[in-house]
Amino acid sequence: MDKLYVNEICADGEVNTVGLFYSRGEAENIIAQLKSIPERADCRYEIVEAVAVAASTNPPQQARESEKK
Amino acid sequence: MRGTTPRREQGMADPVLASMVHALGLETARHYTAATPNIQAYRDSWLKLAKFRDGPVNPKRLEVTNPAEMTKQITAKAMELGADMVGVCRLQPHMIDLGEDVTHEFVIAACVAEDYEKVVHGANAVEEEAMRTYAKCTEIATELAVHVRNLGYPALAHHNGGSEVQAIPIFYQVGFGQLGRHGSLINEKYGASFRPGFVTTDLPLTEDKPREFGVQDFCMNCNVCQLNCPGDAIPKEHVMTHGIKRWLIDLEKCYPYSRLRDEYCHLCVDVCPYNVKSHPETYKAFMKERKQVGYKTPKSW
Repeated sequence: MDKLYVNEICADGEVNTVGLFYSRGEAENIIAQLKSIPERADCRYEIVEAVAVAASTNPPQQARESEKK
Repeated sequence: MRGTTPRREQGMADPVLASMVHALGLETARHYTAATPNIQAYRDSWLKLAKFRDGPVNPKRLEVTNPAEMTKQITAKAMELGADMVGVCRLQPHMIDLGEDVTHEFVIAACVAEDYEKVVHGANAVEEEAMRTYAKCTEIATELAVHVRNLGYPALAHHNGGSEVQAIPIFYQVGFGQLGRHGSLINEKYGASFRPGFVTTDLPLTEDKPREFGVQDFCMNCNVCQLNCPGDAIPKEHVMTHGIKRWLIDLEKCYPYSRLRDEYCHLCVDVCPYNVKSHPETYKAFMKERKQVGYKTPKSW
């Protein structure tokens, strides 16, 4: 399953994360809806792979228990 | 006013959940089909009230000359109906679901606290309590909207039976608390153990303000929810949205525990140290059980 952030880039350069989405189609659909809002006309949108930045390094409990043994 | 915040659908309408259920060869998500009779009754109760979200407005409008006094009266009314916390703010686009249009100027948030003591009785007891409070919030929002419409102002109730508004941005703006690592808003008294109902309206009111009391800094160093999550679904890293830290839960890791089993999972909220202020003995007893099965507890214990 994909994990993709949608970021909104405002005219002043501020970057705000809209959310985490699980397919490119879902992310693109969100962007299309946001672009249709007149008040957001000045914003740009980007889709960023979330794996590298969002994935926790916390091992699942079972793995932690195995490590102890 | 058009909304800008995407809403994740619940149940099998959620494409992530639907695709996981399909991939695993399941017919549906167990959590939804394994509801106890009490839980089913609560769900039925808010569905029955869905048709009363809106209604006729009294044509004889009460003139509001003192919005502050009216806000006090509305707060008192919501408390009388059973709310534990009430707040008001001006409705903004990020508080409304993407694709929805809500024309009202204000939103009233009315919350009911859950009984944290249920944690010692297991996941099903916690789930029933959550559904009980959702049902109570639905009643409060419905009655409060009727009350406002009787004053001569349009009012729409938002609750589990139907809603176009987003809880967390409203909670933050009315000063209920700050967003925590587990993805829920944390109040200093109730932790994240409370549920919402809302009324949007044009009744002239005064706004509450956001309150910051160190939750986000605390969450940066605490990690108890993250280290107690059986699915490892809570990330270490946060993203930023309009100056607020957000830790976005990985649903692919959360759902196997919270949606694909018979029992719900509410552990991230239940282990939050902010529960200790309202329920010190229960929290410590619960965390002692967690420690015995190998999970992290707060440093001081």
